[in-house]
Amino acid sequence: MLATVGSVALVGLEPYRVRVECSTSGGLPGFRVVGLPDSAVREAGKRVSTAIRRTKGLTAIGEISLVLNLAPAALRKSGSGYDLPMALAALAATGQLDIGLLKGVFAFGELGLDGTTRDVAGVLPVANAVQRFGGRRLVVPVRSAVEASLVDDLQIVPVADLEEAVEVLKGQRGVRHVDPVTHSSEESPPDLIDVRGQQVARRALEIAAAGGHHVLMVGPPGCGKSMLAHRLPSILPRLDLHDALEVASIHSIAGCRAPDAPLSTVPPVEEPHHSASTAGLIGGGAGVPRPGAVSLAHRGVLFLDELLEVPRNVLDALREPLESGRITLTRAEAQVRYPARVLLVAATNPCPCGHLGGSRRPCRCRPDQVDRYRSRLSGPLLDRIDLQLELRPVDRDRLIGPPDGEPSHVVARRVLAARGVAAERWGEGALVRDASPEQVRATCGSGVVERLARAMEQMGMSARGFDRSLRVARTIADLAGAETVAKEHVDEAVAYRLIDRSVAA
Amino acid sequence: MSQPDVPGWEQISAAGTDPELLSAVVHRLARPGTGAASLLGAALERDRHATPGEAVRAIAAATQPDVTDAADLRRAWGRRGVRVALPGDPAYPERLLASWPDASLPLILAFRGDLRRLDRERTVAIVGARRATGYGKGIAAWLAEACSDAGVHVVSGGAVGIDATAHQAAIDGGTSVVLGCGHGVDYPRQHAQPRGLFGRVLEAGGALISEQLPNKPPRPGVVRARNRIVAALADAVVVVEGTTRSGSLLTASAAADRGIQVLAVPGDVKRPGSGAPHKLLAEGAAPCTSPDDLIEALGASHHRPVREAEPAAPTALPSGVHELLARRWPRPIRVDELSSVLDVPAATLLASITRARVAGEIVEGADGIRLARAPSG
Repeated sequence: MLATVGSVALVGLEPYRVRVECSTSGGLPGFRVVGLPDSAVREAGKRVSTAIRRTKGLTAIGEISLVLNLAPAALRKSGSGYDLPMALAALAATGQLDIGLLKGVFAFGELGLDGTTRDVAGVLPVANAVQRFGGRRLVVPVRSAVEASLVDDLQIVPVADLEEAVEVLKGQRGVRHVDPVTHSSEESPPDLIDVRGQQVARRALEIAAAGGHHVLMVGPPGCGKSMLAHRLPSILPRLDLHDALEVASIHSIAGCRAPDAPLSTVPPVEEPHHSASTAGLIGGGAGVPRPGAVSLAHRGVLFLDELLEVPRNVLDALREPLESGRITLTRAEAQVRYPARVLLVAATNPCPCGHLGGSRRPCRCRPDQVDRYRSRLSGPLLDRIDLQLELRPVDRDRLIGPPDGEPSHVVARRVLAARGVAAERWGEGALVRDASPEQVRATCGSGVVERLARAMEQMGMSARGFDRSLRVARTIADLAGAETVAKEHVDEAVAYRLIDRSVAA
Repeated sequence: MSQPDVPGWEQISAAGTDPELLSAVVHRLARPGTGAASLLGAALERDRHATPGEAVRAIAAATQPDVTDAADLRRAWGRRGVRVALPGDPAYPERLLASWPDASLPLILAFRGDLRRLDRERTVAIVGARRATGYGKGIAAWLAEACSDAGVHVVSGGAVGIDATAHQAAIDGGTSVVLGCGHGVDYPRQHAQPRGLFGRVLEAGGALISEQLPNKPPRPGVVRARNRIVAALADAVVVVEGTTRSGSLLTASAAADRGIQVLAVPGDVKRPGSGAPHKLLAEGAAPCTSPDDLIEALGASHHRPVREAEPAAPTALPSGVHELLARRWPRPIRVDELSSVLDVPAATLLASITRARVAGEIVEGADGIRLARAPSG
């Protein structure tokens, strides 16, 4: 008898429909897996037949000759998520489960030798794919149920073990209830109201959020770089359902998502340590590459502290994702593409000892050392950072004083409005960050471009930041609700180009 | 590339190198800035045909493997528009010859620009820390600008910090920069850039001076030796900021040795950067708390040229900001602080600050912004 159960292979985020086919065959008794399985999948045969033998009410299949095919055979299958569909297919092939009951059934999950189920990373994108493939029911381990049920229009069948799976499919037992998850979670990210002082940095974050501009913060330890970066999500627009699912899917594949976590609509923040490898930052690993921090921060904030401690080659690897909003990882096994649209917030100390301009300790660096240190803040990556600011610690008195700035929701409203203006002008989802110089110049009032050129010249700024400043000015105009970029907007924009400014005298 | 106005070049090209002289020069060079004059004296005494030029050539051969004869040396300087004055040349400042009490007279002065003011005008050396605070820079600018207005020529090193601030504030009056390295070394880098401080000093009629051969790197000894020239070129030395190990103390003691008046600007007693001025004050230096102190010490007149319509000049700054900066002057204030004290949004402030910077109304440093000029009244 030939039995078929559906499952899904993930190559990166890309789902492929897999048919798990099982048939009795001639020859020696045993369980042969064909269809380009990797070793984890090949071993599944042992796990599956043992789990079946140890499950009450099922007949062992060890004496039967079975062949199990994972179609399409050309696609490499990896991971332990095929245990469950293989077991179900084997049971149907050996007559222990009616083949008709498996119609429209997909399964994804690992089995223990005792027949209990174990959750596997990536359930969310799998469930999403099953729904798209027109699947009716998805059998998953209990622990994956909440995550899988984030997908609408798909019946999730959570099972604690193989016995339950069989009984539920046979209709002898009801489907377990899954607590519905809130799509728009009530959780709130850290709020800007906690920040004292730092008016310039607050304003810069507002501009960053509105135009999607990357930010560089230079300041001594304890001046609030990290605090500010972690508050950026609170003023970014909330993710819509599609984006939230996409973000959660990436986290699911990376295996860094709590299986029972609700679907978060708060843009994620990733803070890789400066010792992170290229693979850790942009993705990689053995076999099919896994997403890195830049993809985990998709549609959110990538916070890179101690930027100058990050090795050059690692930083250079960030250029592609920042340029294109995605990262393509090519390996012998597979080419994988992960989305990576991030807002980069980079931070660094002002000098090698870190204390320049701080109040805690005097700086010990010679001016030429500071110079040399700062000069490393250039290059292709830094060229993509539109907003650059110098932070100073806030006075103690102010720190313990009452809040002196706006709460996030007030800023978020302006950000949302500004994004709306940009979207109306350049189309849905368009960010000022991605606008071409020509597009921006076309919206400038008369004399504005000249004004910027003159200001930059007078202030001894290098010309390479010209279009970046103009872009920032465009966002400032959007925040002000102005259709054309006016002189006052470029005047403000120039103030956020730390690197191009002469630090003389 | 010809150097017709510098005597000695003919001899440099013609003379051979005396091995004894050479070894003496090499020996003396181990301690930069010492013994050049006595060396010259000895050389001239021993051999009537020996010339200062020969010593230069000897130094060149001994210290610069790639500069093996005087023609190379001449080219290296000439390429950069540098002229050379030896003691006794008309271009060599009289006050160096007149006031030099020891044997460390600079053997050569390689210079760009104009040295004549150094003899014609009253001069003040405004020196201090490279790692200066906004306060220190503000004071330095205040003093330098007032001196320049009173017709006092400002002399200083070419370092970042106080030196650079003083030159910048007095630049229109022409200032003299004494380099801590040879011509041709881009040090400090940002000052040597085409639009940097050094270029602007020359443009405004000032001078860049070095006693070193071309391309001599800024070694600590070289920089320290430079300070004695700064002192000797001044009628008074004022130290603005510096730690107790600051090179400004060398400038001050070189000045004291020559009977040149030393002043010091009091600073925050808790800051390491106040160490040098406070040490000098304890040793009897005169406190300098305003440009008047300095101008009085120099015996210059308090004459201040009236700048046209300056008090009435429209300010690019929002109301209240200018007043606050004037009250703070010359101390800087940070934009964050301005924003919260005056309750003006950062966006508005930043835009107006750009306008004010472009108009030259304010100066921005790491510690914040301050007015570029002393507020009137």
